[in-house]
Amino acid sequence: MSRVRIPIGFVFSQSGPYQMMSGEMLKSARMAVDEVNADPAFDFEFVPHLRDPAGVVAAYHTACEDLIRDVGVDHIIGCYTSASRKQVLPIIERTDRLLWHPARYEGFECSDNVIYVGAAPNHTVVPLVRYMLDHLADEAFCVGSNYVWTWETNRVTRELVGGAGGRILAERLLELGERNVAHIIEEIIARRPPVVLNTLVGESSYVFMRALHDATIRAGVTTSVLSCSLCEPELKLIGGRAAAGCITSSAYFESIDLSENKAFVSRWKARYGADSSPSVDGQSTYVCVMLLAHAIRRAGSTETGEVRRAAGNHLYLSPQGPVWVDPDNNHCFLTPRLARSTASGQYDIFWAADAPQKPDPYLSALDATPPSRLRDIGAPSIDPHWQRRLH
Amino acid sequence: MTRQSPLSVRGRAALVIARDERELSTIRRQLDRLGVRMNAWDATADGDIAEQAADIALLDADLFPIEQTPKLPLDPAIPIVALIGTETPSRLKWLLDLKPASFLIKPIRSAGLYSALVMAFGVASQRADAAARIQQLETRVRSRRLVITAVLSLMENRKLSEPAAFALIRRTAMQRRTTIEELSAEIVASGGQVPLAMRPS
Repeated sequence: MSRVRIPIGFVFSQSGPYQMMSGEMLKSARMAVDEVNADPAFDFEFVPHLRDPAGVVAAYHTACEDLIRDVGVDHIIGCYTSASRKQVLPIIERTDRLLWHPARYEGFECSDNVIYVGAAPNHTVVPLVRYMLDHLADEAFCVGSNYVWTWETNRVTRELVGGAGGRILAERLLELGERNVAHIIEEIIARRPPVVLNTLVGESSYVFMRALHDATIRAGVTTSVLSCSLCEPELKLIGGRAAAGCITSSAYFESIDLSENKAFVSRWKARYGADSSPSVDGQSTYVCVMLLAHAIRRAGSTETGEVRRAAGNHLYLSPQGPVWVDPDNNHCFLTPRLARSTASGQYDIFWAADAPQKPDPYLSALDATPPSRLRDIGAPSIDPHWQRRLH
Repeated sequence: MTRQSPLSVRGRAALVIARDERELSTIRRQLDRLGVRMNAWDATADGDIAEQAADIALLDADLFPIEQTPKLPLDPAIPIVALIGTETPSRLKWLLDLKPASFLIKPIRSAGLYSALVMAFGVASQRADAAARIQQLETRVRSRRLVITAVLSLMENRKLSEPAAFALIRRTAMQRRTTIEELSAEIVASGGQVPLAMRPS
């Protein structure tokens, strides 16, 4: 008996300012589709249709319109920036389709037609700043790309640091793609902040990390660099010692010591080369495809409402550990982790939450005022079975 | 008193005046996510109902006939978010009398509610500031004649020029941490027998 062929949409920019990240996402999406299609546990197969908006925000709408009206997909996986997601929300909602969104983002959104698989702000910036306050310093120098992710990450940071009696020494913003970082490096060397919070993205971040490394060595200055977005493929682009020592908050690292992840990484390397690494957004894209496949199987349908209901609370053992969609807000329970980057382009994980944390896209459970130890963060406890599993 | 930032909506209470179950359930879900407590009132009760404790009200503007302004069980200082379906001028004219602090177009989606709440809290706080400022200015205007009388009395009693008399009143008011208007009232009431500030040496 031939399997039902289900068309799904991929919207990933294959050129433009974040081409590298969305390229990694597409690689993971393709790998996941091949695995679903090869797995007899699914009585259907996915037929992916790729659209490439080339990093042009307006082109995302056209891409989705085309996928929905011409190809007839019910489910679209993709978008990387919030600007691109906001662009496609109206058509996705009007036609009642589901967008499976892999990238972490700044929160403050909750559409019934989006499954947010990437981390919410309580998974990323909150544990990172708590760690900083507990173990490093209560003063930070913020440098970031001039867009919504940086603005909101800095706002949360300011609130937490201010609540603990510390302060933000400076907030410096660079236009997306800007490569001239010299004036900011100069200021950092002059002011010697104990912590630099880096929310630059793409090339700006790589140039900054290299320049900061050189300048701190020359000036004999030590500072801790914090990030909630850097990932292994980017460490390789930064290169060598300049990429080492960055304290990063993420739900996924290649070095996660779980059997699901080891198997995932070895399948990845077999497919894309022993030197390549899956990224946090790539792994999340893989999880999107898998959550979709499981939900369609449980629903016995691709219809939006039924798939959304089937996805809610359904636990999937992903490479990053157990993941499930919170039906309260369509975001995912994920396990926040903190790690330190190494010169070999990997991460040493030194902290993980006891259990997957309830997503809090509006940070409505966040209390900035009392000094709180890292282990106190977060959310309702879950089945101790998963706590054991994670340790 | 420190006032809560309009951006922080968690822990506040909303009274939702609406009947449509779909709208109510969307609003309830989104308020839950925001950490806002919700009470619903379907506006059907006859006669007077007790004033509801709430920090904000969400009002379905299509719920009431337009011939009269509805009597809401709310402190008038509570900001109102209007939920608008019919955009006819007759309905909007009715709505303006309720002085909504912000609005949302129905059908309600999850997107927009947080902005509407923040706007409403912000507008309410700006309105409170403006009302306090107006009251302060009105008091000043009302006291203008008193100040003039006090200045004239000092000019006469102490042989001062008008600028010097006014400067003396202002300096004394500052030293006593009172207002020029209140001090002027005292000067007038006592026939100029109020101890005044020394000239700065």
